[in-house]
Amino acid sequence: MAQIDLKAEVHGAEAEPLLPIEKKLIGISLGLGIGLLAILIVVNALGLL
Amino acid sequence: MTDTTASHVESATVQLNEDWVAAIIGIAVFVLALLGLSGVDLLGWAVKSKIWTDPAQSLAPFGKSYAWLGGLPSLVLTYLALLAVLSAAAAVIKANVSRFAVTFTAVFWIAYLAWNLGGYAHFAAETPAELTKYGVTWSLHLTAEGGYILALIAGLLIANFFPGVAAWLDEAIRPDLYVKIAIVLLGGAIGITVAGKLNLASAVFVRSLAAIVEAYLIYWPVVYFIARKYFGFSREAAAPLASGISICGVAAAIATGGAIRARSQVAVLVASLVVVFAVIELFLLPFLASTFLAHEPLVAASWIGLAVKTDGAAVAAGGITEALINAKNVAAGVHYQPGWILGTTTTIKVFIDVFIGVWAFVLAHIWTTYINPNTPGGKAKASEIWDRFPKFILGFVLTFALGLAAALTLKGQAPALKAVADETTIFRVIFFVLTFFSIGVLSNFRRLWADGLGKLAAVYIVSLFGFVIWVGLFISWLFFHGVKPPLVS
Repeated sequence: MAQIDLKAEVHGAEAEPLLPIEKKLIGISLGLGIGLLAILIVVNALGLL
Repeated sequence: MTDTTASHVESATVQLNEDWVAAIIGIAVFVLALLGLSGVDLLGWAVKSKIWTDPAQSLAPFGKSYAWLGGLPSLVLTYLALLAVLSAAAAVIKANVSRFAVTFTAVFWIAYLAWNLGGYAHFAAETPAELTKYGVTWSLHLTAEGGYILALIAGLLIANFFPGVAAWLDEAIRPDLYVKIAIVLLGGAIGITVAGKLNLASAVFVRSLAAIVEAYLIYWPVVYFIARKYFGFSREAAAPLASGISICGVAAAIATGGAIRARSQVAVLVASLVVVFAVIELFLLPFLASTFLAHEPLVAASWIGLAVKTDGAAVAAGGITEALINAKNVAAGVHYQPGWILGTTTTIKVFIDVFIGVWAFVLAHIWTTYINPNTPGGKAKASEIWDRFPKFILGFVLTFALGLAAALTLKGQAPALKAVADETTIFRVIFFVLTFFSIGVLSNFRRLWADGLGKLAAVYIVSLFGFVIWVGLFISWLFFHGVKPPLVS
């Protein structure tokens, strides 16, 4: 396959600020993850797993 | 990045047949092994490698009824069988069959030689009893599974000092295919192993749910945020990178790259990095786990499944971890049943894999609807969930179900069932060896560095060693501490 110019790809990318939808994705994922994990931990601690 | 990695990863994006081929081969081998329950040993000719001091005594056919065959003919027969089956597989996935056959021959013999060398008693003998048995006074205590490390080193040497040879071997360097077959085979052995301890098995399964949450909903957003905010990566690079580091390496990076309609080279770039870091983890984590977590085998198993990226490296690392931890416990007089550590690592990996398609769809929806609505790939469709689902998992589920059903219905035939699991393991080990060697061949460190991947590697290092490993250890401890594999009765 044709080789991409990796250095340019990695170092030369123009700055792309985080969009609101990206912040939402990060926040919802993390919130959901921590919430679900907390539930699993409680369920585990109660011996239900 | 290596051309070899690039060509395989790129082809993987368009040839999902590899998953089906792996499932079919794995199921076929397991079914043939199951037929042994009727008294007909169809696979007993397969070669088994033993710990040795005299190389002439290092090989033997697995089945007692094939003992007349001898070690070397058994090895040649095993090679020919694999050559035939995998060449047919190469035809299905539209590889160059004649080139595959030639290069697979080289791959098989180099990898198996390295594996066999790992059985040398001074490398492999584990316990004082074994030292006495083999008449040696010292050993590196690497266990027989130390051969995996030697296969990996052989691959690394070729990749980094003989890149021309690595490029020539390209057609047969297919770690994904080999490990998928191994995982399908492992499903059957796990099914047989867990039948007698269903409560423990279901506890492992349920606890594995935490791994899914951790990989997709904790690791991914954190890595994505770090890559975007602190390292200034574009969305196109950050999303596959986050998936590669958080979920399961190569497959997740490719699925994510496709989902967000990134150029294929970006996913290839990340995949190359994942493979190299998997090698580093392979060298480090099993030994750390056996040093610090030998008293908590399933915490170690879960940790390996969460921390080592790419299915091949994770499952292979689980195998080494099991060998090291079990050997350490045997030396302390504790005999755990084999299979539980590797089974737990594999279960966690498979559970995580199952959701790749769903996660890719979520990302595809966000990217094609909100971030880049005019993307050439068009809007995300629900069918992408199935398209990106790793189909070999169906093979794993089927062999697991077959193994479990056989073990539950034939409870009085424990020795015969064990023989089926052991026979399956013979082939699984060979596919692991091929996986280790292939991962090594794909890991050209100098080329990777020369290609300017330092910044990507920095994100990987920060994420992996900064929190992925530690959070994984913490969660594994929370859910698995005190849960021990059953003892050998």
